[in-house]
Amino acid sequence: MPIEINWQLLMPELVIALTLIIVLVFDLFDSISKTVLGWMTIIGAGIALWVSIQMHQAGTVGIQFNEMFKVDSFSLFFNIIFLVSTILVTLISMSYLDRGDRKQGPYYLLILLATLGMMLMAAGNELIIVFLGLELMSLSLYVLASYFRESPASSEAGMKYLLLGAFASAFFLYGIALIYGGAGTTSVPAIAEAITAENKSPLLLAGMFLLVVGFGFKVAIVPFHQWAPDVYEGAPTTIAAFISAGPKAAGFAAFLRIFMEALPTLQVEWSGVLILLAMLTMTVGNIIAISQTNIKRMLAYSSIAHAGYVLIGLAAANDDGISSAMLYLLVYCVMNIGAFGAVILARTEDGESLMISDYAGLGTRKPLLAMFMTVMLLSLAGFPPTAGFVGKFYIFKAAVGAGHIWLVIIGAINTAISAFYYLRVVVTMYMREPEEELEISPYASTLVVGLILAVVGVLLIGILPSLMLTPAQNSVF
Amino acid sequence: MLLSIVIFLPLLGVIAIALLRGFGATAVKGVALVIGLLTFVISLGLYTGFNADTATFQQVTLKPWIPGLGTSYHIGIDGISLWLVLLTTFLTPICILAAWNSIEKGLSGFMMSLLALETGMLGVFCSLDLFLFFVFWESMLIPMYFLIGIWGGERRIYATIKFVLYTMAGSALMLVGILALYFQNDNSFDLTTLSGPFEHSNLLFLAFFIAFAIKVPLFPFHTWLPDAHVEAPTVGSVILAGVLLKMGTYGIVRFCLPLFPDAADKYTPLIVTLAVIGIIYGALVAMVQPDLKKLVAYSSVSHLGFVVLGLFSKSSAGIQGSVLQMVNHGLSTGALFLLVGMIYERRHSRMIVDFGGLSKRMPIFAVFFMIVTLSSIGLPGLNGFVGEYMILLGSFVQGAFSKVHVVFATAGVILAAVYMLWMFQRVMFGTLDKTNEGLPDLNAREVVVLLPILLFIVWIGVYPKTFLSKIEKSVEVVVTKVQAEPSMGHLKNQGTQDSRFALRETQRTQHEKIEKEAQ
Repeated sequence: MPIEINWQLLMPELVIALTLIIVLVFDLFDSISKTVLGWMTIIGAGIALWVSIQMHQAGTVGIQFNEMFKVDSFSLFFNIIFLVSTILVTLISMSYLDRGDRKQGPYYLLILLATLGMMLMAAGNELIIVFLGLELMSLSLYVLASYFRESPASSEAGMKYLLLGAFASAFFLYGIALIYGGAGTTSVPAIAEAITAENKSPLLLAGMFLLVVGFGFKVAIVPFHQWAPDVYEGAPTTIAAFISAGPKAAGFAAFLRIFMEALPTLQVEWSGVLILLAMLTMTVGNIIAISQTNIKRMLAYSSIAHAGYVLIGLAAANDDGISSAMLYLLVYCVMNIGAFGAVILARTEDGESLMISDYAGLGTRKPLLAMFMTVMLLSLAGFPPTAGFVGKFYIFKAAVGAGHIWLVIIGAINTAISAFYYLRVVVTMYMREPEEELEISPYASTLVVGLILAVVGVLLIGILPSLMLTPAQNSVF
Repeated sequence: MLLSIVIFLPLLGVIAIALLRGFGATAVKGVALVIGLLTFVISLGLYTGFNADTATFQQVTLKPWIPGLGTSYHIGIDGISLWLVLLTTFLTPICILAAWNSIEKGLSGFMMSLLALETGMLGVFCSLDLFLFFVFWESMLIPMYFLIGIWGGERRIYATIKFVLYTMAGSALMLVGILALYFQNDNSFDLTTLSGPFEHSNLLFLAFFIAFAIKVPLFPFHTWLPDAHVEAPTVGSVILAGVLLKMGTYGIVRFCLPLFPDAADKYTPLIVTLAVIGIIYGALVAMVQPDLKKLVAYSSVSHLGFVVLGLFSKSSAGIQGSVLQMVNHGLSTGALFLLVGMIYERRHSRMIVDFGGLSKRMPIFAVFFMIVTLSSIGLPGLNGFVGEYMILLGSFVQGAFSKVHVVFATAGVILAAVYMLWMFQRVMFGTLDKTNEGLPDLNAREVVVLLPILLFIVWIGVYPKTFLSKIEKSVEVVVTKVQAEPSMGHLKNQGTQDSRFALRETQRTQHEKIEKEAQ
């Protein structure tokens, strides 16, 4: 039976795949400046982003490849998140890589591959496709994490990430197998049909919990978060930004799709677990972040805490919960990449200034850098009028609507806790005198452009949230 | 529209200063002052256009903002917020002028923070949408955080973080309360359509009240205040005492009392006891302070205790007195902080022991200080007396709580006289220290800073009707809402019930009308 392929539905993925091939080919020519590859990545991702937005606005829906691949506004919204992250990360990467004799071609290639993997995860209508996407994404990230092979920390980060990631994948695959055993299928809609209130086989429950563990690792939920700080600290800062943004969103995309669409009947079983995990993740992430002195580790723990906030949306499990989680992931990606971008901006000739105490006095000496960092941190802390506030507010609102008052109280208290360590960086920048003057390298224009985009995005969504809120609300399956 | 201009004009000033920072200090100061004065002048239009015969909100703007979240840009003022808005726009240019020469580093940042703060505070007083209210409530934290943290004293970082964390802890709970109200209000954050009784009203009341009590600050939530005041620059203290603290008491009278009358009733004995403890405790601690600024800071704890007492008296006189006293305290304590700041700029000390006999060297300063001190004590003929008298009268007559409380609170008035006059005596009279002989008297700019405040101190003291007549109607509404709750069997009164419903109806129809117009 010939498969009819609707190429139009696959446009964003095809554009990325095509860009990937172009970058691969052009990398062969030594005469071409390697920053051109970066621009190609940005243009490719930009076109894919534009196509995704058009398709999202048109409300395109379709199923491809024997019902294994589903394009709907949900997957398209996540495409937007991934592509925005990819563009921002590429922008902050270009100057970061342009130093020494580092090979740049494979870097962009792997970023594009990982992006393709994420898009597969969001569109997977079949557990096997989700797994395929997950592996495509993860394998690219393992390499990227250890991209600076001359740095032991980077190699260590890559190795750790590979080992723990492989464990997570195994859990995930085992979960799929058990669900197949219980439901007799791996197709998302078919699983939903196979599970009835009476037929809840223990295999299904076990499989579901293994999926939680697998996802938990990928999106760094407590207690499966141990890898995150080490990997973030050791990996190149741009890659730390990338891992904390797109892949986390992709993990949550698949999480949402599988749990809300395939396993809604088991909600009684999983919602309690998710509530517990959300509370743990927020609280542990925020409390450990307080004691960090290295800004990358602090951002790592903060990103763990943010996964906890997103989990609140999942635990709410209503339409508002899903769209609030999606909006939050978009906002989070922009502000987190922005924060890492500001860290990259604060680099000196001998490397990056990673200790928070190094930032003393930057408020007066480097006002632009301090302003970027401040906006991002205030947004992460959830102060109005930034996007972080709107995102958090919407998540809390969804959870109160679902009756999880206690979860929201814990989330709100966590917000206050997190303000302490985010503001501490601001305090250091504006209110402390430096012990020794750091010679900050001149700013790279691409990096500044990336940061300006992030700042504008954060403020725009903060002041006119409807711009992204309405699309998010229209994207619930 | 007028109200929106008043709220956002300072923000425009922030942008202007950001663009002008290269043009030197004078340009920055000039723009800030012009924007501050312009905002004040425009805000006077709110006063002249205010209709005192109605309790409904005026100058209302209702525009959809985030339909997906059920929020709208809904602002308006009534008699309670009118004076707080004017107080804010009045004090800001004064602060800009007061900071004219005292800010050495980061002047443009300072002025930007100050103006951004003004927008935040005005927004809090004018918001009729709970989400909007919360946005302003939180966003005003950031400029204040910078004001204390960058331009403050020795322990400024400790003080500023303490201030932010205290406020955030309170507002975290308020956020939950706001969300819970939303779902009980047909999925709307609109304040004007909110009407009880609400489920879990006790918890909701506490969620709001604790956030406000921290801001007031009510004993025992006051510990951030002395730190913040002592470390803040003069202008920061003026704004903090003058306006920021009022956000707490404003929140109580705007939300806690009318929305949850049952719960307010239930917790009145506890809250009033805390208020009285605050009055006495604040006064006693103020008495032994060696530091002028700390003394004024603790006197704020005491004075704000009176305001809370008056609010929970649930009487017309008491609440009117409280609203007036908010303005009074803003004027007197603001002026006190300005005076302390002026002497600090000359002597670089705030310790009372370092002074003495200043009245000989600085007669103009002494006169201003005397008047403001007396206003703070509550001398008849000056503003403080009117407010405190009405509060005590209302508390005593209404009988919402035991008269023992009122007796103790009245003792607080005497204590206020003790610590203020004793301080005045030690600073102004006695022998003049040699080091203080060269201190110059107030210059013209400083007199210009103080004179307008003094004008209102006397005006309110002599003819409070100008002010009270605008407050009256709006307070009536609060009083009817708070008194006419069915559970208070002995006070249940058909007349007030009816008026309450009639009132709600008029508000609702007005609201619908505005909505139609907006569409």
